[in-house]
Amino acid sequence: MTTTNISPSKFLAQDNVYLPHIVVIEKIIEETPNIRTLHFNFKDKKLQKEFSFESGQFGEYSVFGIGEAPFCISSSPTRRDHLEFAVQRVGRVTNALHRLGVGAEIGFRGPYGNSFPLDYLGGKNLVFVGGGIGLAPLRSLIWNVIDNKDKYKNIDIIYGARTPADLCFKYDLDSWSKNKTVNMVTTVDRGDESWTGKTGVVPKILEEVAPSAKNAAAIVCGPPIMIRFTFPVLTKLGFTPEQMLTTLEKRMKCGIGKCGRCNIGNIFVCRDGPVFSYAQIKSFVSSEY
Amino acid sequence: MEQKLRNEARALLEQGKIDWIIGFEVGSLKFTTTPLITKDKSDTERLVINPFIANNLANFLTQIKGRVGIVAKGCESRSIVSLIQDNKVVRENVVILGVPCTGVIDLSKVEKLVGKDRDELDDIVRERDKVIIKVNGKKKELSTTQALFDHCLACELPTPREYDILLGEPTPPIANPAAQESIKKLKQVAPEQRWASWEKELSRCIRCYACRNVCPACFCQRCFVEETEPQWVLPAPRWQDNLIFQIIRNIHVAGRCTDCGECERACPVNIPLRSLTRGMYDIVGELFQFKAGLDKDALPLMTHYEEKEAEDFFR
Amino acid sequence: MANKKISKKDIAKLLNQWSREFAVFVPSKESGIATMARWDGKDVTLDWYRNTVIPKANFLPAMEEMFRFQKDKESYNIELPPDGGKQLIFGIRPCDARALAIIDANFKNLYQDPYYLSRRDSAVLIGVGCINPSESCFCTSLGISPTESKDVDLMLTDIGDQFLIEEVTDKGKKLIAKASGLGEATKEDETRAKEMKETSYNKVTRKINTEGIVERLIACFDDQDFWEKIAAKCISCGICTLLCPTCYCFDINDELTKQQGTRFRSLDSCAFPVYTKMPMENPRAEKWKRVRQKVCHKYGFFPMSFNAIACTGCGRCIRLCPVNWDITQVLNNLPVKTEVGK
Repeated sequence: MTTTNISPSKFLAQDNVYLPHIVVIEKIIEETPNIRTLHFNFKDKKLQKEFSFESGQFGEYSVFGIGEAPFCISSSPTRRDHLEFAVQRVGRVTNALHRLGVGAEIGFRGPYGNSFPLDYLGGKNLVFVGGGIGLAPLRSLIWNVIDNKDKYKNIDIIYGARTPADLCFKYDLDSWSKNKTVNMVTTVDRGDESWTGKTGVVPKILEEVAPSAKNAAAIVCGPPIMIRFTFPVLTKLGFTPEQMLTTLEKRMKCGIGKCGRCNIGNIFVCRDGPVFSYAQIKSFVSSEY
Repeated sequence: MEQKLRNEARALLEQGKIDWIIGFEVGSLKFTTTPLITKDKSDTERLVINPFIANNLANFLTQIKGRVGIVAKGCESRSIVSLIQDNKVVRENVVILGVPCTGVIDLSKVEKLVGKDRDELDDIVRERDKVIIKVNGKKKELSTTQALFDHCLACELPTPREYDILLGEPTPPIANPAAQESIKKLKQVAPEQRWASWEKELSRCIRCYACRNVCPACFCQRCFVEETEPQWVLPAPRWQDNLIFQIIRNIHVAGRCTDCGECERACPVNIPLRSLTRGMYDIVGELFQFKAGLDKDALPLMTHYEEKEAEDFFR
Repeated sequence: MANKKISKKDIAKLLNQWSREFAVFVPSKESGIATMARWDGKDVTLDWYRNTVIPKANFLPAMEEMFRFQKDKESYNIELPPDGGKQLIFGIRPCDARALAIIDANFKNLYQDPYYLSRRDSAVLIGVGCINPSESCFCTSLGISPTESKDVDLMLTDIGDQFLIEEVTDKGKKLIAKASGLGEATKEDETRAKEMKETSYNKVTRKINTEGIVERLIACFDDQDFWEKIAAKCISCGICTLLCPTCYCFDINDELTKQQGTRFRSLDSCAFPVYTKMPMENPRAEKWKRVRQKVCHKYGFFPMSFNAIACTGCGRCIRLCPVNWDITQVLNNLPVKTEVGK
């Protein structure tokens, strides 16, 4: 079994699972023209200390009066002075999040969903494959792993975006490329005049890097099309479906498995996911993933 | 007429002149028919024409790709013409099997007059100007005014003007003024009471959008209610937002609505939607002397400009 | 101890007693449709055709405030809405009562849904058996009787000018113990009730075969031709889902006016194209996929998670569908697959 058990979030506001906690935005990083990272903390200092989560879990963030949307918690549980999430501007709520400044109050419910199975990943070589904003859930796990380096073996990170301007978390990419225990490979689909790194879509670069599947696990996160082309490459490299993990994305509202919309067959991405292995995905009764 | 329809439909499919046939077949409940949409020529044996063929089949034309043979009463033919005017349907891709229509029976009206639910009625039969209800071994006679839909009583074109094959003898409009009674009455009510009455009616609305989805004139890929930036109406059934939804929908279909009455029939909570749609239809007729779906070569009303149009509202 | 009974003309008096403690809802006919409306103090005639607007609306309303918030400079204060009070639903049918019991599972699973569950816990359901099941009813195929129910607190059976009252739960027992104006049922009353129940049961003629339905549905999940054919006449409105007693999908939205606002939830439908729409893709943009989802969720996925078919055979979907799309026809004509297709 490659994913952790589901247990409900203990952090309920006023004992009501739909009520958000108030959190305050502390820092904003403009990753790309339409993606930003928000650093935040709970207004309630006691909750700030007590709150805990695992890599891979997400929260439901509210802009009061506009709406609520799910985003993964992109900071690592090993670095708890604040929490982070990354937002891409695509609609009503995300546009509202992009208009907020430091000090603004928003709502937070969570942590929801399952998490990356650290027990399964322990002692293995880890291959992280990310695209665009897909690095957000991965980075929580990557820092988690780096901060507990002795529990894991080699780390390969293959990350790409459409153009150099679309690369997210550049400060992380910088850190990781300077980290001697990490093999950091960055690529873009299309370079510009100043780009000196690799060019090529992520699945192609993955094939070039050709990490070994022996005692390894691959964690893939990015746009659906990238994932669909990455799995065959991993299979070619000898990874079994159990060795491939990913996070699935669906339209969500309640985040707790009640409103019905994020289902794939009889599983709910918010409740039974978002982390799934490819083996699990292949066993879904529904092909709608 | 039924057998002629079946033969024609079968022939068209066999000769490869159409890919699909859209018509009516017997429904799964008494006194109901249901749309039959099929590519299979053996299914044509199930096509029917009876006093319960209520749906406006033209609604399906914007969903089906390919050449379509479609059974069309007068109201459908007008909707098809309206869609052709809007360039949503190509005339050459449609074979219109015209059905001269003597009106469709309104089960709610019958239930009200007989005082029994449709499940308790044994039979409903149309005989020329009468509708005969058989219940508990007894017969009750209703006039067409009492039993047919109001929009059928008001129908201006029961026999299609635009068709490829006409399946029967043309029938004249019933043109019964009783059809306009409810709307006339509403217009006489004072504005405050009208507002209160619409609040009462629209509080029942559950925003199922059946009124929009049965309408052939509503063919937008993405409806304004589905927009979030900006959010035009609340996506929840608050009566004020339900009212705005109806108003905007009526404005959007003005010049395309042919008063087929499907919106009111489809409404599961009996909101008198036809008061609004017919009201708009009459306003369009008064202001522009235009009635949708009667002239295939006419330009769509709201999307073209004529020099003689009024400009007194420009400031 | 013998059952009690009440004369039909005394029901108003009984409801009056109960209305001191509860908000009483009765079936009422308004504008040609039957709803569960707040009792207006007048006589009650139990409408023999099921309510168009279902008792689900008393527990999962079409629109419901979840909380309200006040903006105070840059800060927000969140407040819960006031308590709605206890409800007494008089005249609920066995199919609708069972529907509530079925969807309870969703609202209890993993997290407790406070709004729905608090209403459910505090409500009293007084059921009434059907004496004239409709042509569209098929409750018996789903193990539900039109005349008996374990999901109500008291069960009424029509025996002419009177109702026989059977106690089902302790809540019901307590309610009856406090009530006045009731008579003792005689042996003839009991016999008559039994006859009515049997006659009623046999009037349900519409049937579906639910044997192995979960497996059979999953087996034809990927049969696109079948689903496209089935879905051809559907117009993707929300009638079947919004008026279904076992449908519970909801949407959550916010509204803000100047300095204050509310977050509310409203009933939603998987039939709508935007139900699963994401910025970059929509897994159910095609109509046949949405129709497939509805059928497979009710008769496949929900039973897989909660061991109960999410349908009570009330037949509203069949009766109210503008194109007479009929789920019993679909279920009785599933293609037979020899192996699970994928």
